[in-house]
Amino acid sequence: MNPPFYRRYVIITIICAILATAVVIQMVRINYTTYANDLIAVSANYQGIQTIIYPARGTIYDRSGHILATNKIGYEVGIDLKLVSDPESIASAAADLSETLDYATVFEIANKEKLETGENRYFVLTSYVSEEKIIALMELNETYKARRLETNSGTPNLNGLVWYPMQQRAYPEGSLASNVLGFYNYFSRESAQGVHGVEEAYNHLLTGLPQKVFLPNDPYLVEALPNADPGANLILTIDREIQMMLEETLSGAIEWSGAENGTIIVADPETGEILGMASTPSFDPNHYENYLITFPGNTPYNRAIGTTYEPGSVFKVITMAAALDTGVVDPTTVYNDASGVFWVDGLPIYNWDGGAWGEQTMLGCMQHSLNVCLAHVAVDELGQDLFYQYLQAFGFGRSTGIDLSGEANFPLRLPSDNQWVKLDLATNSFGQGIAVTPIQMVTAISAIANEGKMMTPHVVKSVQEGDDQIQFTPQVISSPVSAETAQTLTEMLTISLEEEASTALVPGYRVAGKTGTGEIPTEFGYTTNQTNASFVGWGPSDDPKFIVYVWLEKPTISQWGSEVAAPVFHDVVEQLVVLMRIPPDNVRLGSNQ
Amino acid sequence: MKKNILQAYKQAPWRVQLQYIGLFLLGLVLVSAIMGVYLSISSQAATAGRRIQGLEDDMDEINNEIAALTTTLAEKTSTKAMQTRAEAMGFKLMNVNQAVYLEIPGFNPNEDLVLAPPRVNVVVEAPILREAYRTTLWDWFMEQIWDVSTGFSQDDQEVSP
Repeated sequence: MNPPFYRRYVIITIICAILATAVVIQMVRINYTTYANDLIAVSANYQGIQTIIYPARGTIYDRSGHILATNKIGYEVGIDLKLVSDPESIASAAADLSETLDYATVFEIANKEKLETGENRYFVLTSYVSEEKIIALMELNETYKARRLETNSGTPNLNGLVWYPMQQRAYPEGSLASNVLGFYNYFSRESAQGVHGVEEAYNHLLTGLPQKVFLPNDPYLVEALPNADPGANLILTIDREIQMMLEETLSGAIEWSGAENGTIIVADPETGEILGMASTPSFDPNHYENYLITFPGNTPYNRAIGTTYEPGSVFKVITMAAALDTGVVDPTTVYNDASGVFWVDGLPIYNWDGGAWGEQTMLGCMQHSLNVCLAHVAVDELGQDLFYQYLQAFGFGRSTGIDLSGEANFPLRLPSDNQWVKLDLATNSFGQGIAVTPIQMVTAISAIANEGKMMTPHVVKSVQEGDDQIQFTPQVISSPVSAETAQTLTEMLTISLEEEASTALVPGYRVAGKTGTGEIPTEFGYTTNQTNASFVGWGPSDDPKFIVYVWLEKPTISQWGSEVAAPVFHDVVEQLVVLMRIPPDNVRLGSNQ
Repeated sequence: MKKNILQAYKQAPWRVQLQYIGLFLLGLVLVSAIMGVYLSISSQAATAGRRIQGLEDDMDEINNEIAALTTTLAEKTSTKAMQTRAEAMGFKLMNVNQAVYLEIPGFNPNEDLVLAPPRVNVVVEAPILREAYRTTLWDWFMEQIWDVSTGFSQDDQEVSP
């Protein structure tokens, strides 16, 4: 006999079993239905967000620790589709955030969830939006909120338009050293990279390693994010005080001389460190959107490294160094400039003034910058083989290897080349028919100021990565001339400036230097009234601590380097010795003795 | 003749029911306890997860704030800003003739900027014999216990607010 309520128990058991079976069947059915994959894909969108962590870009300091490039707060603006209820208002508000956005684009994205189910629920609209624009958005949001309260309606609203802070490149010094620094093109976060200068050359170190991570919505799955180590910090050889002085002096010199453009480089000949490098044009990299306005067409970003030109008589320093080093001449060797002309293969070479200077020692040849004398030295004394061997030893025809992007180089025309003619040997001796960059000239002539040793020019002094700081050791490229030759030539060029009473001289300091006036080649031959005026000088002559190179392009006030570039050298050195704390010779030598 | 009488005993029905109820309740208590522990651990894990997210956000916020402050400081101490401030205070740029030089022993104005110690090559002394060959069974056993206990205590520290 069955217990009481037996049938009721059986019925309840059967109902429960049927329900359980139905649940199991439904679970199996869902897994094998044709919509299963779609459902799984949709659910994946709600599990979390796949994102990339971008480490902070490294800071760039000047040699004293002043910040030249760092990061500030910018904002990433996106649309969280599941919160969007008024795509029109969002499109209207976000259209002006970036040049890449417009109403139609934003509206299409904001309206996507209604159009296409299964789309990703978060879209990045734009990155690096300024704080001011975000504040304006917040104010607009508040205005909309007030309007909704007044009208008691759900629109307008910006629900779903979200923004997150992120780091954005900043240049606190504005345009200072912009030609050296380059800029960070953060137009798009994915493709952002350094452009020109240090930012490009050291992009791989400054960037750090971005990490792809999954941010789950499920709190049980949350883990600490992996450490995205920030990019390395760079300490430059640039001194911001010197840099500012150079940029102000260059700006004044261009205005005074009517030159089209100009460059000034200051380097330490002992180490190859670039202490300052000014070039025109320049711009504020905080507003890199103006790049094409400032640098239209093929305008070089940094003329000091990116433009080749015929340097003119400053190149005589190289010719004389080669001649002294081989011993074919010495400072007292006499050359008789009887006619004021030197013939090469039936073609005449004249002096800068077209005159004849009579008997001149090598010192006189340099002092009066006689083309005829230097052509004689190159053609008759050195010969083509020795001359070009020295030019190659001084690094002409190849890049200096400076750690900045965009270095230009014009190949050296050698006697083995088909296009070379003997006239080239004569004209090359005084800096015509040969194209060089200012940094090549500084690097080569630094050897004369550094006991014959030519150092690799560089702008990065050390790199700080993690807990370590790695110091760059100065590197010798080559020793094109002996220390004795370098000292002799330095003394010759010191005396020549003093005897000439050059406008380059700085009272209290003995400096060596040479002017240069280079004619500019065009398709119709050399121009007569437009020149490249330059000056190279170093000092103090007994123990050089700096080398200064000045180049003014097409000055209108005068075509001569001695009248245009030499005074600029004077102005630079007068301030430079104070900034570098170099006492006058009598103080310095007196205290040393 | 003597009869062997066996007394048959049976639990009273209410006693049996009570035992069943007791056993059921014991099971219920055990299941509840396990569920309670599970819920407690789950809620702690969820809280920890949310806390990690919160701390990550805090770190981002702090890093951004540091970046913003660094930029502000750099802007306020930029060359032009400093020059303007100095001029407003009555200072003028010194020219070469006004400079007075004093020799200060030990002072190097061109000292290199140091942001971090220089990289050094660390020589790691690798033991010739592996640890497993130098440890007694007892040492190994104690070490395992120590590791487990320290692991627990570290977990506690991380979870505790």
